[in-house]
Amino acid sequence: MTSPRMRMVAAAARTTPGRLGVIAVVLVALALLFGLTSAVGLQARSDALGDLVTSSEPLAVAAQDVYRSLSDADATAASAFLEGGVEPAALRERYQADIAQAGSALAAAAGAASTSEEAGRSVAELSTYLPVYTGLVETARVNNRAGLPVGAAYLREASGLMRDRLLPAARQLYESETGRLAATEDRATPVPFVEVLLGLVALGCLVVAQVFVRRRTNRVLNVGLLAATAASGLVLLWVLVAAVAVSVNVGQARERGSAQVQQLATARIAALEARGDETLTLVVRGSGQSYEQHYQEVSARLGGDAGLLRQARDSVEDPAVRTLVEQAMAQQGQWQVAHEEIRKRDDSGSYNEAVDLAIGDTGAAPAFSALEKSLADAIALSTQRFDDEVGAARSALAWSVVGVLLLTVLAVGGAAWGVWQRLKEYR
Amino acid sequence: MRGRIIAVVAAVCVVAGCGSSAPEPRAERVEFTAPQPVGASVLDTPAPTTTGPPVPACDPAASLRPTGPPVVAGAGPSVAAVVAQGRLRVGVDQNSYRFGYRDSFTGELGGFDIDVARQMAAAMFGDQNMIQFVTLTSGQRIDALKNGDVDIVVQTMTSNCARKQEIDFSTIYYQAGQRVLVNVGSGIRDLDGLAGRRVCSSTGSTSIKNLAEAAAKPIPVGVPSWTDCLVMLQQGQVDAVSTDDTILAGLAAQDPNTEVVGPRFSDEPYGIGIAKGRDDLVRFVNAVLDRMRADGTWTAIYQRWLAELGPPPAPPAARYLS
Repeated sequence: MTSPRMRMVAAAARTTPGRLGVIAVVLVALALLFGLTSAVGLQARSDALGDLVTSSEPLAVAAQDVYRSLSDADATAASAFLEGGVEPAALRERYQADIAQAGSALAAAAGAASTSEEAGRSVAELSTYLPVYTGLVETARVNNRAGLPVGAAYLREASGLMRDRLLPAARQLYESETGRLAATEDRATPVPFVEVLLGLVALGCLVVAQVFVRRRTNRVLNVGLLAATAASGLVLLWVLVAAVAVSVNVGQARERGSAQVQQLATARIAALEARGDETLTLVVRGSGQSYEQHYQEVSARLGGDAGLLRQARDSVEDPAVRTLVEQAMAQQGQWQVAHEEIRKRDDSGSYNEAVDLAIGDTGAAPAFSALEKSLADAIALSTQRFDDEVGAARSALAWSVVGVLLLTVLAVGGAAWGVWQRLKEYR
Repeated sequence: MRGRIIAVVAAVCVVAGCGSSAPEPRAERVEFTAPQPVGASVLDTPAPTTTGPPVPACDPAASLRPTGPPVVAGAGPSVAAVVAQGRLRVGVDQNSYRFGYRDSFTGELGGFDIDVARQMAAAMFGDQNMIQFVTLTSGQRIDALKNGDVDIVVQTMTSNCARKQEIDFSTIYYQAGQRVLVNVGSGIRDLDGLAGRRVCSSTGSTSIKNLAEAAAKPIPVGVPSWTDCLVMLQQGQVDAVSTDDTILAGLAAQDPNTEVVGPRFSDEPYGIGIAKGRDDLVRFVNAVLDRMRADGTWTAIYQRWLAELGPPPAPPAARYLS
């Protein structure tokens, strides 16, 4: 306070009208700051929810689709091979649908490639080797149709390419997309510290201002300041309610939706891998120990006391999904029994019987199909749950930005008008 | 606080559409490596020769002399036991094209070994279908005989002194040897033409050991299964395949653009494996083999399955223990 001009301002501020003026400026600034901050925070929340629905979740689903359809193609190609020279139309169609689905999901997932270097690398790897894979499968098929055993060697090479290159890339893409989904979920549910702090400061100042105005002017009520207080209080309440509602909904979406989908999808892909192992062991006729070993690893990961299915059942809350997972557990048990019988027959030299058990209408094929369907249904239910919860979160935020902005206008106007009414009396 | 202000500015910008720069579309550089059969690898150092206990010298080709033509009645207890069980149980391969393999259309087994086995069943039962095939891997053959899971093994099985300590063999029914399979028009005529070139063989086989020790110094490439070698040859990843001519014939039969060239440079006499202590069965099998050599059956089977190897040679002569 050295310059004469500052001293003049300071002197003016010591007078009652001067103080009223300072109060008006502070209140208007605080109300404005609080309101705008709240509106921006709500908008960010809403944007994150929008991203969940329009970007993160579809990309995670696309990545999961790539992973699943490639695993399925691997298992289906091997099953078709076991059928002899001419594969059944249904298996051929399933393989073709898998490849088409993988291609189109890959194109969808390529949207993620521009934002994440890791996803970009996976997409590039997948697009490079998918046509090579299908080429090998067709070569295998042509040789098999001609009755030549080299067809099985091409199929083995194709499967090796799938397992060594394509599936790891698909898994990486899937993991980076589910990671991004979780990050977007977090982005939708920050704790509104700044808003609450600003809101409390604004409300406190409004109360102090009203006490001051009442003492200096002997008026009990100031309508403008009261309205400003009420409006700011409503903004704070709105922000808190919205934050809590969105957190609850997104928490549910994560627990009963995305996290569950991830768990179930992992189990489903493990089942597909095990099925591929089972059929490939028979395709290679007698030298499939490495596939059988992999089957044992994967099926131990899937079933068992600490297996993926058990974990999924223990964490699932939705009774419909739980029923499906319990069905899947029973079906996996049946499959396991059939698988052991297949191994027994094949190991004792009854190859044709083993093949019948593996792909016929009784035995491993129906048990595996039922297991896969149960998991697919459970995934569909969980995905629906996710969409519902995010939808609920979005509707909790409906009109919040506009409402908060209108209330802010009311708060700012009320504060200014309220103080002006008193200030007027000094003229 | 500053973050919030920036956020306000950013929000305004988003609404106004300022500063929107789409990422530059750019193709990722991809290192492409052509797929190879799983487990294919260049053999850097030749596998050390396994040093087991010393094997006493023997004549691997010599077997028990038949008592006459193959007649079941009065042949002996082992033959009688097989007749009593109603079918002959035979251990075979299902993975060696033209020797023992499964037809992918019918699911039935076929090949040189399979036909030889059927001759045995025909001699015993008068019906070549009174037979139960048990498919075995190479490593299972001796145990299957010892455990009594099969009566005989007809599965490209080399008769040698080490194996003769564990099981008995019939007389030699096929004389195999290592040769070379190349692309037609490659200009390679024999093993010496493969100096410095990549040659495929099965990991852990005697064939790949022979390659590693060959004077011409080819580069051996090991794969898990013989058909993988044909894949590598077709994909241009090796210049040749080298192993027993029997297996090469099976590979050549799958690709008219390949041919078996050069002389044999190893001896692999195939015999029918039988568990020890079943001498009458060995004599019976040898009698059937004798008849097949004499009446042209052997030559007919050769022509049926092994035409790729050229005109049929004379069947290998039987040698008997004195």
